[in-house]
Amino acid sequence: MIRIANLEFRYREGEFQLRVPELDVARGETVAVVGPSGCGKTTLLNLIAGISLPGCGRVLTNGVEVSGLDDPARRDFRVQHVGLVFQEFELLEHLSVLDNILLPYRISPALQLDPSVRERAVALAGRVGIGDKLGRYATRLSQGERQRAAVCRALIAQPELLLADEPTGNLDPANKGRVLEILFDFAKGSGATLLTVTHDHDVVEHFDRIIDFKTFYGSAAAR
Amino acid sequence: MSELRVSRALQLGMLVLGFGWLACSQQTGDATPTVTEQAVPLAVYVVNYPLQYFAERIGGEHVNVSFPAPQGVDPAYWSPDPETVAAYQEADVILLNGASYARWVGRASLPYAKLVDTSASFRERLIPLEGTVTHQHGPTGEHAHVGFAFTSWLDPTLAAEQARAIAQAFTRVRPEHEADFRAQLAGLETDLRALDARLATAAARLENTPLLLSHPVYQYLVRYYGLNARSLHLEPDEPPDPSTWRELQELLAEYPARWMLWEAPPLPETARTLRKLGVESRVIDPCGNVAAEGDFLMIMQRNAAELESVAPAASSASGS
Amino acid sequence: MRDTLYLAWRYLRYHRIKTAILIASITLIIYLPVGLNVLVGQSAAELTARAEATPLLVGARGSALELVLNSLYFEADSPEQMRYAEVSRVANSGLADPIPLYVRFRSREYPIVGTTLEYFDFRKLRFASGRAMAVLGECVLGARAAHALKVGPGDSIVSSPESVFDLVGSYPLRMKVVGVLEPSYTADDLAVFADLKTVWVIEGLGHGHQDLASPEADSAVLAREGNTITANAAVVQYNEITSENIESFHFHGDLAQHPISALFAVPHDDKSQVLLMGRYQGKDEPSQIVRPRDVMNELLETILTVRSYVVAAILIVALATLATAALVFLLSLRLRRREIMTMVKIGGSRSSIASLLLSEIVVVLASGVVLAGGLTLLTGRFGSAAIRTFLLS
Repeated sequence: MIRIANLEFRYREGEFQLRVPELDVARGETVAVVGPSGCGKTTLLNLIAGISLPGCGRVLTNGVEVSGLDDPARRDFRVQHVGLVFQEFELLEHLSVLDNILLPYRISPALQLDPSVRERAVALAGRVGIGDKLGRYATRLSQGERQRAAVCRALIAQPELLLADEPTGNLDPANKGRVLEILFDFAKGSGATLLTVTHDHDVVEHFDRIIDFKTFYGSAAAR
Repeated sequence: MSELRVSRALQLGMLVLGFGWLACSQQTGDATPTVTEQAVPLAVYVVNYPLQYFAERIGGEHVNVSFPAPQGVDPAYWSPDPETVAAYQEADVILLNGASYARWVGRASLPYAKLVDTSASFRERLIPLEGTVTHQHGPTGEHAHVGFAFTSWLDPTLAAEQARAIAQAFTRVRPEHEADFRAQLAGLETDLRALDARLATAAARLENTPLLLSHPVYQYLVRYYGLNARSLHLEPDEPPDPSTWRELQELLAEYPARWMLWEAPPLPETARTLRKLGVESRVIDPCGNVAAEGDFLMIMQRNAAELESVAPAASSASGS
Repeated sequence: MRDTLYLAWRYLRYHRIKTAILIASITLIIYLPVGLNVLVGQSAAELTARAEATPLLVGARGSALELVLNSLYFEADSPEQMRYAEVSRVANSGLADPIPLYVRFRSREYPIVGTTLEYFDFRKLRFASGRAMAVLGECVLGARAAHALKVGPGDSIVSSPESVFDLVGSYPLRMKVVGVLEPSYTADDLAVFADLKTVWVIEGLGHGHQDLASPEADSAVLAREGNTITANAAVVQYNEITSENIESFHFHGDLAQHPISALFAVPHDDKSQVLLMGRYQGKDEPSQIVRPRDVMNELLETILTVRSYVVAAILIVALATLATAALVFLLSLRLRRREIMTMVKIGGSRSSIASLLLSEIVVVLASGVVLAGGLTLLTGRFGSAAIRTFLLS
C-alpha cells in the first residue's frame, strides 16, 4: 500500500530535515508510528497523503506515485483514497455533524454526493454512537463525540488508506479505546491500511507493527 | 435546513420579489369614458322670459332652455334658492340680460366661462337709473347704490343685439350647428324688424303726446321711439293712496297727459278714478316673465296694438 | 455549485450577526444614493406637480416667487393686488380662460381662497360631501381643514381679522359650509374656498345692511331727499349672510376695480399661450405673467444642487464601507485559515474552496443588492404619498 524510497524533505522555515531511505507498509496492515514530538511523524503522514511534496525520493500510495502528481491530482487522489483523522478533530464549527461527515463530497468534484452516500453517513454515525446528534453543530458535542464524527468524515469515502495523526491525543481513556476500536473495525472490515501516528504507548500494542521513528529514521537535522 | 429547502427558499424569494416588482410597476390609468356630446342638446339657463324666447327661436332642437323663476314673479327681483343656483351651475350656457338685471346673479357663484352677457355689445348705451342710497362706512368711504334700466328687450333693435349675442354663444359651444343658428336668428331678426316698424309707426303718430307710465320700466321703449313720457310708481294691483292721487292731480295740472301705460291691467276702481281725471289706461306688458297666453312676439304685437290704440285718440286730442 | 452555495449559506447563517451587519452595510451603501436620488426626484416632482399643472399665472408686477407661492400653495404674504378687470382682459383676448384668485384672508390658520367655480374642475377636485358654493356667504373646505376644524356641510366657520388692530377694515364673516372636498394631497386640502365676491364682502367691499327705508333704520339715516337716502356709520351691517338678509347684500363701485391677488390663465393651445405671454411683455405693463413651472424649477435648482454634494459624500462613505467590508472579509479569511487547511488536507479542490469563499461574498452582495433594490422599489411606490403627507403637514 505504501512504499517510500530515498525520501528527503527539508522544511522551509527551519533547518530540520526528514530522511526516509525506505518504508513499506502492506495493504491491510495496521501500523503505529511512535516517536517524540518534532521528529517528523506528521510530516511523514503529509508526504504519504500528498499534502506535502518531498525534496527528492518517491512516495507511492496505493500504487500511485503521489510525489509525482500535481496539486489538483493529489487532492483528488487524497479525497478518494485517503481518510485523515486529526488530533484536534478539525471539524467545521458552522456545519452540523452530518454536514461535517459529508464535507469531502461537497468540496471535491471527484466525489458525487447522492442519497446512498447520505445513507452511509447516517449508518456510520449510528455505528459510532452519534446517530442522534447528526443535526447538532459540532461545537455542541463532547470531545469523544467530535472525534467520532471526524472519524466518520475520514471513513465516508471508503478509503483504502487511513492516516490518523494522534487520534486519541485529546481524549479520555474511555473515548480513546472507543475511537481506536472504530478505526480497527473499519480497517479489518474493509481491508484498509491504517497508519497511525501516536506517542501514546498504551495504544500501540494493538497494532500489527510499530515503527519507532526516531530509532529508525532519526532526526538527521543538519547541525 | 437541508440544502434542498434552502435552494427552494431562494427560488421562492426571487419569485416573490419578481411579482412584487411587477405589481409595483403596474400603473393604474385613469379610464375616462368619452361621451358624444353632440347628440345631446345644449342645456341653456336664462334669467328672464325674453331670453328664453330668443334662445328657443335661435337654438331650436339643439338647445334645451330652462327658466326656473315661478310664473307671476318678476324675475328681476326673484332670488333662487341654492339648489336652483346649483342647477344653473350645471348648465352649458347661462344667458344673462346684463344691465344689472337679476341682482341675484351678483350674489351667486356661477361659472364664469358659461356666462353670456347678452347686452355687453351696448353696455355704453344702457340707461342709468335715478334714485340712490348713499352711505358712508367701511374702508372706501362714501358710496352710492346705482343701477341701470334693464328692460332692454323692449327696444327691438337692442333685442336683436341680444339675440345675436345668443347666437354667437351657441355657435361657440356647438360650431357644427352654426348654419342652423344663423338661419333661425335671421328669422327672429325679421320678426323683430317687423315689430320695430309697427311700433315706430305707432310712436310717430303720437308725436309729442304726453304719456304717463305707471312704473319706470319702459325706458328703452321711450328712448328709442322718442316718446314723451313721465314715470310714476303705481302698482296695477294696488290702489293708490290719497296722497298719490293728489300728487297725480298736481302733475296733470302742468303735464296734461291723457294716457297711462300700465305693466298689467289696473284695478277697475283705479282705472275709473283715472278716467275721471281724464286719463285712459292702456297695458304695455314688459314681458319679463312667461305670460298666461302668448309668446314674446305675440305679447309685443299686443303692446304695439295698444300703442296704436293710443295714437288715434292722441291725434284727435292734439288736433283739437 | 449547489454544494458550495449550501456550504456558504451554512457559514453565513452560523455567523448571522456578522452576516446581517455586512448585508445591512451593503444595502445601505447601495440604497442611500439610489434611494436618495429617487426620493429627491419624487420630492421635486411633488413640489413642482402643482406648478406643472398650472400653465400660466398673471399677477401684479413684483416677486414672481411670492406670486407663485401665494397662488399655488397659499403660502407667503398676499402679493400686490391686481384689478378684477384683468380677468376680462384675459377672457376677451380669446387666448385663455381666466380663473381669478384672491388669497388674503384666513379662517384661523387656514387660508380663504376667493375664486370661481372653475377652480374645482381645473384642479380636478371632487366633493366628498355637499356641493360647491351657490350663493354669497357659502364656502367649501378642503379635506384636512374640515377634519381639523371638525366641520361639515351645514356647519359654519368665521373669517379671522387680518390683524388684531384691524378695526375698520375686514370684519369676521360667518360663512356656511356647504361642501367638503376629497383629499387631494395638495395645498387645497388645507384651504377654505369661497366665491370671490364673498371674500370681497370679508374685505368690506360688499355688505348687507338694514333696509334704510324701514322705520327700524331711522337712527342710521342722516338725510332723505326724494329718492336719495343718506345713511351714517351707525347702519347695522350683517356679519352673516342668511337667506333672510342675502337680498340686502350688494357691492359698491365698479366690480372691475375690485382686487384679486392673481389669476390662472388656461390657454386654449400652445400658440395661444405664447401670444398671451407676449401681451404682458410691455415695459409699462403693470401686470406680469409667469409660468409657475419655470419659477419652481429655478427654486428647486438651488435645492437640488445640495443633493449632488450629499450624493458625493454618500459615495465616499460607500467606498470606505466597501473597503471596510473587504478588510473584514480578508481578516475572516485569516481567521479561517485552519478551516481552509482542513479542507485542503481532506482533499478539497482549489476551485471548490475558492468557489465556496467567493459564494459567501456573492450571497452577501446579492442580498444587499436585492434588499436595496426592494427598498428602492418601495420608495418609488410609496415615496410620493409619504412626501405629499409630509409636505402637507
